[in-house]
Amino acid sequence: MNTFLKVILRNIIKGPSTMKYPFEDSPAPEKLRGKIKHNPEACVACHMCEYVCAGGAIRMQESDDKKGMDFVVWHNSCTFCGLCEYYCPTKAIHLTNDYHTAHLEEDKYNYTEKTSVRKQPCICCGEPIISLTPTLVEKIYGKEGDVKDLSKMCQKCRRKAIWKDGVFKS
Amino acid sequence: MSDLLQKIIKKSPWIYRINAGSCNGCDVEMATTALIPRYDVERLGIRYCGSPKHADIVLISGPVTAVVRDKVLRVYDEIPNPKVVVAVGICPISGGVFRDSYAVENQLDAYIPVDVNVPGCPPRPQAIIDGIAMAIEIWKTRF
Amino acid sequence: MDIVRLAINILIFPGGLFAISLGLFLTGVDRKLYARLQRRVGPPIYQPCIDMIKLSQKEIIIPRTANYTFFRFAPILGFAGMLAAIAIIPVTGIYSGLYKSGDLLVLLYLLSLPALSLMIGASASGSPYSSIGLSREMTMMMAYEIPLLIVLLTVGMRVGMASGKTAVFSLSSIVDFQLKSGALLFDLPMLPAILAFMCCIPGTVGVVPFDIAEAETEIAEGPLLEYSGAGLAMFKLTGGLKMLVLSALAIALFFPSGIGDFWLINLLWFIAKCMVLSFFTTTLVRATRARMRMDQAFKFYLLFPTALALVSLILTLLRV
Repeated sequence: MNTFLKVILRNIIKGPSTMKYPFEDSPAPEKLRGKIKHNPEACVACHMCEYVCAGGAIRMQESDDKKGMDFVVWHNSCTFCGLCEYYCPTKAIHLTNDYHTAHLEEDKYNYTEKTSVRKQPCICCGEPIISLTPTLVEKIYGKEGDVKDLSKMCQKCRRKAIWKDGVFKS
Repeated sequence: MSDLLQKIIKKSPWIYRINAGSCNGCDVEMATTALIPRYDVERLGIRYCGSPKHADIVLISGPVTAVVRDKVLRVYDEIPNPKVVVAVGICPISGGVFRDSYAVENQLDAYIPVDVNVPGCPPRPQAIIDGIAMAIEIWKTRF
Repeated sequence: MDIVRLAINILIFPGGLFAISLGLFLTGVDRKLYARLQRRVGPPIYQPCIDMIKLSQKEIIIPRTANYTFFRFAPILGFAGMLAAIAIIPVTGIYSGLYKSGDLLVLLYLLSLPALSLMIGASASGSPYSSIGLSREMTMMMAYEIPLLIVLLTVGMRVGMASGKTAVFSLSSIVDFQLKSGALLFDLPMLPAILAFMCCIPGTVGVVPFDIAEAETEIAEGPLLEYSGAGLAMFKLTGGLKMLVLSALAIALFFPSGIGDFWLINLLWFIAKCMVLSFFTTTLVRATRARMRMDQAFKFYLLFPTALALVSLILTLLRV
């Protein structure tokens, strides 16, 4: 009986411990997995995120004018699991800590994040490709080469360059 | 007069939870919005009620599986007008991770009219309070 | 003239508007204090009024298996009974009760009307959850009425024997006797009876150790399951009024002394006494106890308060 009274006395003295949310700000912790943000500069369109997505929310498809790839993620099917961020080889996809996700029914199919990855022409033969990023080329060929130029070539030109000159050409 | 009535009435919505085949993750988050002292919603006048006949706002979680679909529709009919439906979690909105399962035929708004969506798996309690606040704004215009 | 006075007493003061506002105020204060005891903020004090207004605007759905007349008649029965009950109880300094004889027995009958209306409403609903609530409510009523009867008998005999007759059951005479020769609160043989009465209050009002009939999480709100809109509002109002009637009865039986002569001070003193009584018997008990099982509650009521009340009765009979 007296444990209860001690608890009640402590509760009266300490006062309410409520975070009055709509009238007060409620900060999210830094590592909270919230809505997705995609960086089209760093994306290589490898489709890895689409493969591992748990809720089937990511779609990468060719854009209408055939000049790039469209990246669409529908937040109403995303589980915020973070698998896409973990498996992306260039870390182009990133989960922010924005948790304000309530929306009206009319906006249901517009609640997406859409970016577009443009195709650049290859510096050797001019064919439009999606260029690799320097980090990815480093992972394949090591650090001591001319990775910046290699990352802007298409696959055939890159093979020709490495066959001809080796990686260690500057 | 009806403006004053709306301003008074929006301070006391009662909510009722329906679990339409959910994994209980969203149910746990819905229980924490009302019951624990940290996110107390009773200061806004909101209260969980035990019977659908007392409810104003109904929170539905879970993909509508084939077994539970008729029961959800029956309980939905028992709620007196005016009422607002809030879909909590990604399962009622789009099927979520269970979208291609043999037990899930269609999403929730093929059966009953939904007003507010709160995606997340599960959504944070503050996001659920946001969704309830949006639902109250819609609800008071239906009187 | 008498009919007009009767109507004013039942509809405006102290029944009707005054009782409804005071009953809702007590309910609001109870909810706010209960939240503060749990380190929450809690609703504003005028929250029950807003609930009533909102409930009056909702649609009423009558189930197909319900008995139409009794379903709609049941809430009104309890509400009217409580309004009549509060018109009988005297408040010192302001109001001196309606009748001059046999008050306590009439009050005993009127006190059982809200439970009866809940039972009629439950059985008219035609749902299995409601019939479970009905049988639980009947058992609880049998349990808490026994110590209540013995306490009222004890008070009547105590006042009667001290003023020369055998038993006095008129509330105004009991209040006059206490104003002359000290309140019964400070009378040592009556203390067990007071304790027994305090134990009966949570059972009558239906708060947590004994809210078995209306158990929200177990049987989906029991007898109130099929009520929506105005019927539900009337049941909740009756609940608030029951708390007020019991507090006013306890104050009139055991501690009716007023302060001075001015009616406003006596009114505030009465409201303060009601609030203190409701805090200790309802809010504190609700915040520290869990719900009991049916057999545990029955056994409790048959043993503990009955024994206390019997001790008081025997001491009174032996003229100690």
